Amino acid sequence: MTRFIRYVSRHPGAMVGLTLLALQIASILFAPWLTFYSPEEADPLMSLQPPSAAHWFGTDVSGMDIYTRIVYATRINLLISIVAVAFAFVVGVPIGLLIGFYRNWMSALVMRVFDFIQSFPVFVLGMALVSVMGQEIWNVAIVLAVLFIPMFARLIRAEVLSLRERPYVSAARCSGATDGSIMFRHILPNALTPAIVQVSISIGLAILLTAGLSFVGAGVRMPTPEWGLMVSTGAQQMILGVWWVALFPGLAIVISVLSFALLGDMVKDLSDPTTRERL
Amino acid sequence: MSDRNSTALLKVDNLSVDFGEGTPQALSNISFSLGRDEILGIVGETGAGKSLLARSLLNLLPEGGRFTSGDIRLEGETVLGISEAEQRKIRGGRIALIGTNAKALLSPVETVGAQIARVLRAHRDCSQKEAWKAAVDLMVQVGIVNPERRAKAYPHELSGGMAQRIVIAMAMVAGPDVVLADDATLGLDATIQVQVLDLLVKRCRELGAGAVLITHDLGIVAHYCDRVAIMKEGRIVELEEVGKFLAAPKEQYGRALLDAARVRPTPMVAKVEDPVLEKQPETPLLDVRRLLKLFPIAGTPDVVRAIDDVSFSVKRGETLALVGESGSGKTTVGQCLVRLLDSDGGGITFDGADITTMPAAEFRAMRRRIQMVFQEPYVALNPRWPVKALIAEPLRLDPTLDRAATDKRVRQLIDLVQLPAGIAEVYPHQLTAGEQKRVGIARALATRPDFVVFDEPTTALDIRVRAQIIDLVRDLQAEMGMSALFITHDLNSVRSLAHRVAVMRYGKIVEEGDTEMIFSAAKEDYTKALLAAELPVEQGTAQRDRAETRRLAGAAV
Amino acid sequence: MTVAVANLGVYWRAIPRPLRIITSRLLMLVPQMFGVMMVTFLLVRMLPGDPALLLLGNMATPDTIAAFREKLGLNLSLWEQFVHYVGNALHGDLGVSIFTSNPVVTDLLERAPATLELITYAMLLTILIGVTLAIISVVRAGGVVDIGSRVYGLAAGAIPDFWVGLLLIYFFFYILGWAPAPFGRIDTFVSPPDTVTGFYTIDSLIAGDLNAFVSSLGRLTLPVLTLAIVNAGALMKMTKTTFADIYRSDFIRHARASGLSEGTIRRIALRNSLPPIITLVGFMFGFLLGAAVLVETIFAWGGLGQYAVQSVVNSDYPALQGFVLVAAAFILIVYTVVDILYELADPRIRV
Repeated sequence: MTRFIRYVSRHPGAMVGLTLLALQIASILFAPWLTFYSPEEADPLMSLQPPSAAHWFGTDVSGMDIYTRIVYATRINLLISIVAVAFAFVVGVPIGLLIGFYRNWMSALVMRVFDFIQSFPVFVLGMALVSVMGQEIWNVAIVLAVLFIPMFARLIRAEVLSLRERPYVSAARCSGATDGSIMFRHILPNALTPAIVQVSISIGLAILLTAGLSFVGAGVRMPTPEWGLMVSTGAQQMILGVWWVALFPGLAIVISVLSFALLGDMVKDLSDPTTRERL
Repeated sequence: MSDRNSTALLKVDNLSVDFGEGTPQALSNISFSLGRDEILGIVGETGAGKSLLARSLLNLLPEGGRFTSGDIRLEGETVLGISEAEQRKIRGGRIALIGTNAKALLSPVETVGAQIARVLRAHRDCSQKEAWKAAVDLMVQVGIVNPERRAKAYPHELSGGMAQRIVIAMAMVAGPDVVLADDATLGLDATIQVQVLDLLVKRCRELGAGAVLITHDLGIVAHYCDRVAIMKEGRIVELEEVGKFLAAPKEQYGRALLDAARVRPTPMVAKVEDPVLEKQPETPLLDVRRLLKLFPIAGTPDVVRAIDDVSFSVKRGETLALVGESGSGKTTVGQCLVRLLDSDGGGITFDGADITTMPAAEFRAMRRRIQMVFQEPYVALNPRWPVKALIAEPLRLDPTLDRAATDKRVRQLIDLVQLPAGIAEVYPHQLTAGEQKRVGIARALATRPDFVVFDEPTTALDIRVRAQIIDLVRDLQAEMGMSALFITHDLNSVRSLAHRVAVMRYGKIVEEGDTEMIFSAAKEDYTKALLAAELPVEQGTAQRDRAETRRLAGAAV
Repeated sequence: MTVAVANLGVYWRAIPRPLRIITSRLLMLVPQMFGVMMVTFLLVRMLPGDPALLLLGNMATPDTIAAFREKLGLNLSLWEQFVHYVGNALHGDLGVSIFTSNPVVTDLLERAPATLELITYAMLLTILIGVTLAIISVVRAGGVVDIGSRVYGLAAGAIPDFWVGLLLIYFFFYILGWAPAPFGRIDTFVSPPDTVTGFYTIDSLIAGDLNAFVSSLGRLTLPVLTLAIVNAGALMKMTKTTFADIYRSDFIRHARASGLSEGTIRRIALRNSLPPIITLVGFMFGFLLGAAVLVETIFAWGGLGQYAVQSVVNSDYPALQGFVLVAAAFILIVYTVVDILYELADPRIRV
């Protein structure tokens, strides 16, 4: 714990990341108390109001308060992304461990399947799958999870492939370690670091993909408050000089993704045993 | 040429280097001079600042490094504080560096011929074609057969010794005045090392260049150098003619290094004390019969016969050394003994049971009795486990041990390998190489095995640490009375550790016999070549004279 | 048997290395394409309901549905249906778009050049920015470019491309008026040049139509910039890691100790970084194709991406299926080219 505090105090990036994360957690937990309007109720009379004391970030075409919607959207965006990545991690890591450790036709087959999935551009496949499955929040999360599973599995597999050849694994075997012990006590802890860093990066990526899907109309639908969807409602107005509708939700995306990127760097530094002294 | 010997070719004067204000000096007050046709050895342990000194001489300090005092003069002219362009002319042009691990020194995606030619073109005005021709010519001179074809090879297609010759050619191509060889033969087989060093020294003499051989191996100094500088903690603690140094080092540290480098004087004698065992000499503890291990070559139907019909046996309380150069198959034999690899034929009988056909689960119980000490001390320890967990791991093989008993045994073992008790909580990367090696030994001895395979127990260790490990292993063996197989390329250590020696080459045992027999009267040419390639400090003076004659003969041709 | 294999091996190794690389890669393309078709086939079969109805849309009559069921082989087993699908696809029949009523292949071919032109220029600019920044920030570590590029790399990874596009439109079109309106590839009053390559910039030069050239170039600027700004950051970060490792490697230090000039040393480092950079560029194509879907929507580009978005919005499944197939095929071809180049650039790879 002291190590953690010392690290954060010396790395402004980590500090910013943690602060932004706290901000998002606050938005998720206290949204009703932080906002003054309903996130989904239209008010045609207040359409496209510029930022003011009453509407900090202005209003959109249907007169909904943009600030309120941004705060509420944190729930949707983070929920989708975190659930998707958690699912991909929980499924991908064991698969990666197994196909890296046991190299037989099954592992080869699984790898080929991953190759196929990954030979599709992520966004294109995501768009097609969500459109086919139906544009529901949970479907977006499931599709993202499916797209991320190969990423985690490959990452772990690559680590396992190199770790299983390490002399300390042979040494453990000579000391009587069983396959299970070697996999879970020797290889996995050493293979996990890049995957944990990837968790953070993937959450950011998931937020971007979710927003992108909604933006082109292949994700969640109005009037659900979602950042990408909000940007898309402002897209038409941007050409006419109405900048606030698209600007603020876009900034929310940037801040959110940025915080997870910064946290990823922090996790990477903290989980490397050889950097422990240098902190 | 000889009259120029009187003026110093390279003179280093009171040179000090540190890494920023307030940091300790990495090099302090280094002074020495080098004449033409002279070979100076610089010896020290890891961290003594040898490589930093080599880089200082080229004014290529690592990031953050800076000179705080002193000067380096090449034929009277300073090489510090001159323009970058002038420095470039000196680097490779007048002072050339030959580094360790030649394969890493060559750009992997370009042909070696092009890389030699490029250095020449950096220093001489010549066309691509002329440079290529010069490169090929030089490759002949560094002993590369079929140079036209080899010049078009990429570094990964060459052996380590061949790559080292290429690096030497790169260093020699511009005809430098000073050659710095920074552990240039580290990691090469002994026979190759001698060839490379002979060549290097011969070429330097031909060029009339001065050479600095930086090494941790006093044997190399004894055989090749005129003078030796002993470095410790960034200082030169002793600078002396080699003959005088070998006869009587002035400083304590130099003496300690020299003592450690000497062959341990008491050879092991087979002493089977137990009268019961003496009565049954026919049942060895370990019996390897016609062992075979094949590795397929990827993409071809061919196989490498890594172990090709190997048979040997080890009695109770006996130590056998398996000696051979890289690729001889000796490590593969060790891995088959502990079932890290499955053999493709033949049998291994341990205490009457054939362990090659035994199911894995059954063999797991057997692991208590057969253990292995791994080669590289650091990578053989899980970086995330503290020492106590590492040592306790093999103890799980003994289900009767509870937690308290395990802890107690771990403490005993730490004590046994002469490590401080506080080390239990420490992680591998915080240990020195010697300490890591001791942890590895403690792991192997944890279950009180009957038989231990030591894979290269002394490589990658500094001279003094190596001597300490050898002593430790000898003591432990005497104490615990186990049998052992030593896998090594270091004949010196074998002499003081093994009762018998088996020499391996190309997967076969070419000669086997009692240790003293092998050392005093080897029958096979290959064994003789291996022995000749050893550079024991004791025979240094004699060999230097011989080398001198050879050199003169070479120069006359 | 083994003798025959051995002989084959001998013949195989007698072929020059570049040819061996290309042949083996092209052979691998076949099963990969097969897998891709399987995925696109299953994509529509995953839908609840009658595929025939879904693929024909609501306007279909019972007769046409029956005929279409026959064509798809819906009465047959899944495997045979797949064979039908592959057979049709190989004959260039990807069905008829519900929305445009054109054969999907025609639609796709019509729109492909727009997307390719966009991606190609974006890729070139991405490489230019990304690789240049990476090299400068490694060679001058700790300098202004290094620090600036670190901030940029972090930011570029967090900024949604569609949002960047909108901001660019706001500033350069609405505020400054420098950029043309974000409506398509060429000004409405300028007629597009005759199709040769399908790239307006190149075709207009071939036709000698300077007006069309300037117009199409102007229209390209913002979308290309959008794609490059976001993607160059990622490419820069990855190239920097690779290049920095190589720049600090033993052989570079050795080259410096051999007195080679800094220019030569940079060239050596770059030559050694080439294989990983080639791989990265290959991956970037995948990203760019995905990003193009978003960017085309913003700039009303009329390419494949916009077609795909329309097909999603209109539940135009034949079009969507066709687009996914073409996109995956394109990426596979890019990866194949990348693999070939990689193996050509790195003599250590054994083939």
